[in-house]
Amino acid sequence: MQKRLFLSTLVAAAAAVFAVSARADQLADIQKKGEIVIGVLGTDEPNSFVDPKTRDVVGYEVDIGRAIAAKLGVKPVFKQLAVAARIPELQQGRVDLLAASLTHNKEREALIDFSLTTFVTGQKVLVKKDSGISQLAQLGGKKVLTVKGGTQEPNIRKAVPTVDVVTFETTQQAFLALQQGKGVGYVNDEASIVDDFAKLGPAAKNYLIIPQSISTEALALGIRKGEAGVKNVVDGVLRDLEKSGEADKLFQKWYGPNTRLKFQSRDFKFVSDKIDG
Amino acid sequence: MPFFDFSLLLSGQYHDALVAGFVLSVQLTAVTLVLAVPLATTVAMLRLSPSRVLRALGVSYVEAIRNVPLLAHMLFWYFGAPELLPEALKQRLYAGNIEAISAVAALTLYTAAYMAEDIRSGIRAVPPGQMEAARALGLRFLQVMRLVILPQAVRVTIPPLISQTLNLWKNTSIATVIGVAEMMYRAAQVESATFRSVEAFAFATAAYLTISLTITGLASWYQHRYPVRTR
Repeated sequence: MQKRLFLSTLVAAAAAVFAVSARADQLADIQKKGEIVIGVLGTDEPNSFVDPKTRDVVGYEVDIGRAIAAKLGVKPVFKQLAVAARIPELQQGRVDLLAASLTHNKEREALIDFSLTTFVTGQKVLVKKDSGISQLAQLGGKKVLTVKGGTQEPNIRKAVPTVDVVTFETTQQAFLALQQGKGVGYVNDEASIVDDFAKLGPAAKNYLIIPQSISTEALALGIRKGEAGVKNVVDGVLRDLEKSGEADKLFQKWYGPNTRLKFQSRDFKFVSDKIDG
Repeated sequence: MPFFDFSLLLSGQYHDALVAGFVLSVQLTAVTLVLAVPLATTVAMLRLSPSRVLRALGVSYVEAIRNVPLLAHMLFWYFGAPELLPEALKQRLYAGNIEAISAVAALTLYTAAYMAEDIRSGIRAVPPGQMEAARALGLRFLQVMRLVILPQAVRVTIPPLISQTLNLWKNTSIATVIGVAEMMYRAAQVESATFRSVEAFAFATAAYLTISLTITGLASWYQHRYPVRTR
């Protein structure tokens, strides 16, 4: 997987040299193909995950993807990606759009463009109560677990410089390793942590989400650099969802009080593609 | 952004991370090799033993291990097997470097299965008359092996074993999936931190290539220096 990534990076680097002048408009390509390939994680409930009954990928970001495909009048094709593969896959054109729990940050702005913010979440740490840890500072020198290639690892290192981080291919492997006791903490986006916490069922009483966030993340859809046509359509769809009240319904459907996550209020809107700092 | 940023590879925290990964990969290879060779010899002995039960045991080991991908072995020895241990031992193990221990367990068992077959074919390359003659002289099976067969088989066996070591060296990269901070893990980590994919993986490629070519060179040197004696 990693080797393939490297090889494709080389190929892409070579291709980029030639492609700059000859690249067609991506929006026209999508319409010609009749389908839009949307990169999702498929392992991150409720943003995108595999429904155990239907085996389809469903979720909050999947619904947003479907709305965009409907607006374009094309068929949505959801492709599951590893966290670390998201940006390379988009840059190399193997997916047209990322709806993959993607944090919008300054570093990434140099590589890809972002839609309006579609979700705001803190990043938090889940620990076992018997570790005696209840504050971030106590994680110093301890082993925490998270996913490769996301913002979780740099953020926890920033918050607790002496922490020891071990990363896995998916968040769920890291979560499993925490349950098995292979580390004292598990770092992830708050929304995902709350969901994982709920998944623990009765065992949840042995776990604690450290209240202090390690960072606040604005999640957005990822768009290939310079594809203004695609960005216009995507942002337009997001604005329409907001105006029609659909955006709020989507939030209620996947995050609201009747879900496992039980978020009481929606503290953000699909209005801006700017982030702080 | 320059097309290829050498400074990233020559000094600083990313250089340190990559070098640490390289060192760990070499350590994984060395520790596994030390553990796998005796295990492989034992399995080869089982496969060649006069007892049908022991032969069946040897065959089962080799086939069970070789027919499952190394990735599955890795995940099993990290997420699966340790969970079956008694609680106290498990706690102690998990408090230490369970990632590296699991990786060494998976790599050792996997490599030993392949090496066992190389050792077995090396032993079979010694004419059967030697075994018969030594047995006729009154030596027991293990004595024959130790005194007559193995010394001759070593020359035939070493080159393929070196080649298995080369596979082992490359296979250490699979340990990245269980969070072992080896070469591939570090390269991916530097890639996500800097977005300098080409630099990070160029370093990893150069590192793998350097050791791989050294091992290949060693194999061909051995073959010239110690050719198989055909009496």
